[in-house]
Order: sequence, then structure tokens, then C-alpha cells
Amino acid sequence: MYAVSRYWLHCKMGDKDMLGRTRKRNRMVKQNAHIDNIRNDTNEPIPQTIGAVRSGLQEIFTGCSDFVLREIVCGKDSSIRMLVVYINGFVDKRVLNQDVVRPILDYFSNAKLQDKRNPIYEQLKECVVNNNDIKEAENMQQVMENIVSGEALLFIDGEDRALVIGVKAPQGRHVEEPDTEVSIRGAREGFVENLLTNTTLIRKRIKNPNLKLEIMQLGEQTKTDICICYIKGIANEEIVREVRERLKKIKTDAILDSGYIEQFISDSRLSLFPTVGNSEKCDKLAGKLLEGRVAIFCDGTPYVLTVPYLFIESIQVSEDYYDHAFFATFMRLLRLLALLVSNLLLGMYVALVGFHHTVIPFKLMITLAASRQGIPFSPITEAVLMIVAFELLREAGVRMPRPIGQALSIVGAIVLGEASVAAGISSNLMVIIVAITAVCSFVVPPLIRATMLIRFVFLAAANFLGFFGISFVFVAVFVHLCRLRSFGIPYMAPFSPLTTSDFKDSLVVAPIWAMVTRPKILRQENTKGAAGVKRQEARLKR
Amino acid sequence: MKCRKDKYAVKIATLAVSSMVFLLLTGCWNNRDLTEINMVTALGIDRTEDGKVLLTVQVVEPAAIQSTASGKGKGGGAQSKPVFVESYEGETVFDALRSMLSIVDKKLFLSTAQVLILGERLSKNGISEALDFFQRNHEVEYEMDVLVARNATPKEILEMETDIDPIPAVYIKGTIENTVSRAKAKRTILLDLIKDMGDSGRQPVIGQVEKAGEKEVRTEGAAVFRDGKLAGWLDPYETRGYLFAAGKVKSTIVNIPADNGKISMEVIRSKGKINAEFKNGEPAMLTVRVGLEANVGEYEGKGKLDSPDDLHKLEEILGDEVKKEIRRALDKAQKDYSSDIFGFGTQLHKYHPQYWKKVKDDWNDTFSKLPVDIKVDAKIRRTGVIKGPIKKDG
Repeated sequence: MYAVSRYWLHCKMGDKDMLGRTRKRNRMVKQNAHIDNIRNDTNEPIPQTIGAVRSGLQEIFTGCSDFVLREIVCGKDSSIRMLVVYINGFVDKRVLNQDVVRPILDYFSNAKLQDKRNPIYEQLKECVVNNNDIKEAENMQQVMENIVSGEALLFIDGEDRALVIGVKAPQGRHVEEPDTEVSIRGAREGFVENLLTNTTLIRKRIKNPNLKLEIMQLGEQTKTDICICYIKGIANEEIVREVRERLKKIKTDAILDSGYIEQFISDSRLSLFPTVGNSEKCDKLAGKLLEGRVAIFCDGTPYVLTVPYLFIESIQVSEDYYDHAFFATFMRLLRLLALLVSNLLLGMYVALVGFHHTVIPFKLMITLAASRQGIPFSPITEAVLMIVAFELLREAGVRMPRPIGQALSIVGAIVLGEASVAAGISSNLMVIIVAITAVCSFVVPPLIRATMLIRFVFLAAANFLGFFGISFVFVAVFVHLCRLRSFGIPYMAPFSPLTTSDFKDSLVVAPIWAMVTRPKILRQENTKGAAGVKRQEARLKR
Repeated sequence: MKCRKDKYAVKIATLAVSSMVFLLLTGCWNNRDLTEINMVTALGIDRTEDGKVLLTVQVVEPAAIQSTASGKGKGGGAQSKPVFVESYEGETVFDALRSMLSIVDKKLFLSTAQVLILGERLSKNGISEALDFFQRNHEVEYEMDVLVARNATPKEILEMETDIDPIPAVYIKGTIENTVSRAKAKRTILLDLIKDMGDSGRQPVIGQVEKAGEKEVRTEGAAVFRDGKLAGWLDPYETRGYLFAAGKVKSTIVNIPADNGKISMEVIRSKGKINAEFKNGEPAMLTVRVGLEANVGEYEGKGKLDSPDDLHKLEEILGDEVKKEIRRALDKAQKDYSSDIFGFGTQLHKYHPQYWKKVKDDWNDTFSKLPVDIKVDAKIRRTGVIKGPIKKDG
């Protein structure tokens, strides 16, 4: 089984990649070559004298007003000289003063305490500095990296090493409820911009040493911390390796959001459908990890990526598992219906009034005709006008400052809804249909963007060929979905390929006590959940 | 490398062919907006004295319907009429329909037609010629009801304005649809009519529509055809007899005399079966077997319905009553019109194909001479909430 999956992954990501992709990568590497040169230049030993260090750093940080240098002179005859370097605002100054600077001053001014046999550097490291988080920097490159990532550095005259003291001040927002994924039931905690806080939130939920967090840095300029998170023994090692490899291949200046990573590591980069998931909710992410998925944390953004991401996940919501299974199943089906409606309804309407008058019931037809009477536009023009107006409203609602929101909704409701009908620009039925389309598109947030564009394709096809056009586009989209893969896993699983054992969490939701196996399609080494193992043991005993 | 090139070529070819297909297809798929058509709700055809076709259409005005439905008229002036009726003479139905565009603005759309009304003169001259267009055209709704106008032309019936429904055609269709609970009119949809016309073993029967007043129509009785021509009429009770024999009665009220009054029986279920009994290779007798179940719906009188014997007696009377109606219908069909509307011929065709080949051409005459045996088996299921009528004298 593994051989097969490996083959898949290689086909998708190996050398024989999709046309043109390897070439593009090479070009990118070339572009970034000069950055590599700069880095190589700084890879030099640390000067032994404080003066040299000082002048060297000052030269590099010219124009950085937040760069702080402090020289400490102490000991007998001021013989011991040290240099503390950090970036203002990054470090907790109080901790730095209390745990680093004061002990040093105390220690070296008191001759009795001094240990004459050990060099000063070792003394500092072992018994002076009151901080647990101490590392060493051995060349200028490490020095630079540590300074810019917010550590305080301590140089000692006569040493070619420097102490890296972790006195980073906690920064950023507090953990709060995410705005984008609201749930009635379930944890309110959402991720924040701080990587460490985020990983802690997950660790808090999965208390298991098998929860692995592999850290790496990406972005030549930004040096953003990226963390691959998975549960060893549950996640498919092949997928973890693939994630690692794809991340390593990223060559770019900056990673400002996990969205950058998403675009780099997607299997099908041009597809409208997302093959990498993201979430802001801790409980949701913990669930995904326990299913055997791999998470990618990115410092500076609350959105954590999960792979592989399958189509069915777009209609899954964490509340499905907290609620009664029947209710959850009903909601799943409703979400699927909403997805279809938001894609197809406009096109269907245009096809009905344009082509297929014969299938409309007589009474409905009178209503349709009456609402269309006197409208100067063709149905397609009307539909495009209304839906574009709606998308504009939506975009404006997202972009504008919050206090103006009310004004916008008034304009939207009155002008677009009432006035356009009263003026005879659009039919009231069209307003209803656009409204239903809009409501339905909000039900399945992960696919909003895909739906938004595909809707127009359906609309055009409906105007061109009626229902035939709609079915043609539908088939095309469906074929595309079946061809998509996310990290080697077929996108439409468990329906294609048919994996009946995974149906328990697809269109229907089985009660939690009945979900005894983990998703098979993700091919973990260990598909049996704890309940499954228990059952198997019971069976063996019999 | 070569392989990849080939694949590329195939892709391009597929794209080109498919896009061409679409472009060609659009030629016959026409995108017509709803506002660019006139929705025909009813059609009437009749013959003029010089043999031309007189086509009448009733066209709905959706906006007017909408404003009457919501109770507010646009503007404030006089409300526009919900339908308009136009007639046009032409050589054929299709000719009249197209030529009518000289007086009507938008193309006439036939799929919304609810009823097709045939004129008496046209029916007498033969309907098969006029119906050819309705079979040939792809836009015609096969489910539309067909009626024959009696004592009025289709035009007169379609021009009537009724208070019951804003669209007269919908009103007429409603009256013929509700025959399921009265069984006094024959309901024929176009598809069935077309089937019957092509079947030599069964003659078509079409429901009858006539004026009942200034603003009402009445659909009762039926028109009997022979070889595509109107042969005569059945009155409501004969029509019911015919429907009983044909097994098409869903529910109806049959009145029977009883002790000191009358009883209305509500037939709730009924089955009818016809057959031909053979002797020496010739049909000796036609048989009609009807089984029905009924409830006592109303008792106008002073009798009582306490014992099973009372009910058995009633069952017999009810059976006789129904039998009488069937006999009347059969007599009309055999003696007056000589037209096998019941479909005995179809039975022969099915079970005695050899014999049927011989008599096929003059079956209607053979049919007229055959004796018919009718048996009705009536059962009474319930007598309602009370047993007998309230006794005032205690």
C-alpha cells in the first residue's frame, strides 16, 4: 500500500512534475541568488574584542533606531567588559535587568563569589545569569539571526562566542474567539499571531509526546517560523515527509501569512477548489490532527493550514461531532444542498426563462412572466448585474471601516432590493433568486471563492445552451474535482475512490461512539481508534 | 516527446470539435425570453362554412393576472383584462396560427394551453385532419384536455368572461378535472384522443362543454365519434354508464329509490371489465362486468338501515340502477350511433386476432348486432355516522 501511495506522491511532486513547474522553480532560485551571497558574507567568526563587535554591529544596524547596545564594565579595575545587545520592544526589559544585568553586576563586584578557575564565559553561563533559556551563538550569522528574532545577546571581551538569552516579551493579542469560524457549541479559543501560543493551545488539547512539532524557517527576508505538526503513529509518514519536502522547496522573500505557503504547496495551483485547508479554531485543528492530518503553523497568522484537504471537509463543521448525529446529518445534507443551490440556481433560472418554458408549471409560468414583464434587460444581463452588485456589496462590507456598515446595508437593501424592482430595472423574482444564492453561498465558507466564479460559468452556459449547458459545465466541474488530489489523496474521497468505511463521516454523520476507525483514505499506519482497539480485543477474547 | 505532441494535438482537436458542436447546436436551441412570447391558455378550432379552419386562441396577460392576484392594479386606471381572445381563418390550423401573427404582437406559445375545444361543425366533418398539426408540432402539450362544444362555437365559449377564475381556460379545465368525483363527463387528454383515433377497436369519446349561463360553462355528457366524425351525444347518465363499463369511475353519486324516499349512494370504488364470449369461432355475446363499492351518503325518507338484510336489498337496487345506466349507454352506442366506444374491438384484437382480422373493417356494424350481458356486483361498505334517519314521531 505504501509503495502505491509513494508512487502517487512522486508522480505529483517529483521531477516529472506538471509542465513548466520545475523550470519556474529554477528561475526563482536564480532570482534569490544575491540574497544567499549576502548571507554567506556574514558567516564569519565573532571578533574577540568588544570594540570590534560593537563597531561591526553598529555598522550593520545603521539606521535602526530600535537597536540597543549596552556596555557593562565591572570587576576589579574594570577589567571585565561585556556587551548586551537587543532590539528594543522585543525583549522584556524588566526580566533582562533583573535576571541578567543585575546578577552580573552583583557577581563581579563581589570578589568573594568569583570562581577564579573558570573562565568568565563559563561562569556567566552556569551560575550568573538567572535565565533557563540560554543558547550560544558561534558566528556572526547566528548573532544576526538571534538579534532580529528578539533575543538578547551577551558578548564578553576576549571570547569568540556570545550568549543568547531568551528574554522575549510575550506579544500580540490574547487568545480570543475567532471571528471567521463561529460556533454555537464548542471551544471559543482561536489561534493568535504568536506561534508559540498556538502550539501550546494544541499541546493543551493533545497531551501526548507523540504530538510532534517540527520547526523551520522560511522566507529569505522575513525568516518566518513555520511549524509542521502531526501525531506520530497516526499521521501517514509519507504525507509528513511530503509536507517537509514541499516546504523546503519554497524559495521566496517573504512569508507574511499561511496563505503564501498554501499557494506554494497546493497540488493543483490553478484550481479554484482549495486543496489545503485552514482553520482558526483549536478544537477543529485538534480533530484534524487526530484524524491523521498534518498541520502547518506559521508565525504571524492565526490561520493554521491542514493537509490533506478533501472536498468533504468543506461541509464538515466541528459542531457536527458535538451534536446529535441525526441533526448533524441533516445539517450536512443542507450544506450540500446550499452548495448546489448557490452554484446552480441563477443558471437554472436563466435556462428556465430562456429555453425550457415547457417544463415550468402553468401557474408558475404566469408568475414568472408577470415578474419579467416590462424589464428592459435580458435575464442574463439582469442576473449578472444583480450578482455583481451583490458581490460589490459583500466586498464593501468586508473592506470598509465597521461603523459605516449600517449605511451600507441600508443602501444595499433599499437601492438594490426595493428601488431596482420599483424602477423596473430588475424583476422581483431575480432579487429573490440572488438573495437565495447569496445566503446559500455563505453556508459553505471554504468554497465561497470557488462558487463565486463557477456561478458565472454556469450562468454563461445556461444562457448559451440552457439545461444542456448547465449539465455540461456540471460534468466538467465534477471531472475536475475527481481529478484533483491533495498530497496524493484523491479530493473526492470517500466517494471516488469509493471507501465505504469512511462514509460514516461524509454526507451522513455517525454518532461519535460508532466512529471506531480513523479515516482510511488518509492511509495511516494505525487506523483503529481507541474504541476500535477495544472492540478488537473483545472479539479476540471470545 | 512525440507522444506528448500527439496528445496536445488531440486536445486541440477535441476543443475545436466541441466548440464547433456548441456553435452549431445553438442554431436550433433558441433562447427566447418569457416576455417575448404570448402564452396561449386555450385553443379552439372549428370549420367555416366554406371548409376553412377557424382558429381561436385565448392568450393570458401575466401582468394583469398578477395585479388581480395581489389586489392592486398598476397605474390606477381601468384594470387590463387578464386574457384576450383572437380568431383567425386559415387553410389549415398551422396556417391560421402563423397568419394570426398579423393581428397579435408576439409569437404564440402553445405549451401552456390548458384546453382544446373542438367545434360541432368540425367534429361532424371529421377531426383527424385538424388534429394532425397537434400531433406533429413539438410545442404542443399532450396533457391538454380536449372538449367538444355543443350548441355554441369554440369562439363563443372562449370569449366568455367568468368570475370564477381570471383565466377562463383554467376554469374550464377545472370543471372537467373535477369529473373524477362526479363521473358525468368524459375527460379526454390530447394524448389519449390521438391514441384512440389510431385504434380501430375503440372509438373516441370526448367530453362535452356547453354554455350554462352568461358567465358559466357546463361540462357534462360526452360526444361519441365514429371513424373520426361526430356521431352523437351521450347525456350525463349515459356517460356515467359508459364510464362504469370502461372502469373509469373513481367516485360518483348514484340515487336510488328506497322505502318512503330516496337514497344517495356514494360510489367509492369501481371496476369494470368487458369481454366477448365466443361460440363456433364467432362472438356470441358481449359481456360487461362491473364491481363497485359504495357508502350510504344521504337518506331522504323514513326507512331504516339496521340489519344486513336491509343493506343487501339496497345493494341489489344499486346494482340494478347502475346496470340500467350501462344498458342505456350501450343501446345508444349500438343502435343509434353504431360505434364501439367501449373497446370490445380491442379485446377481440388482443385475444382473437385471427377473427379480428376478418371483421376489423366493419366491426362497428357487427358490434351493433351483438347481444350484451351486463352484471353489476354492488357492495355497501358504510352507512355513515348514523344508521337511519332521525325519527320525529318516535
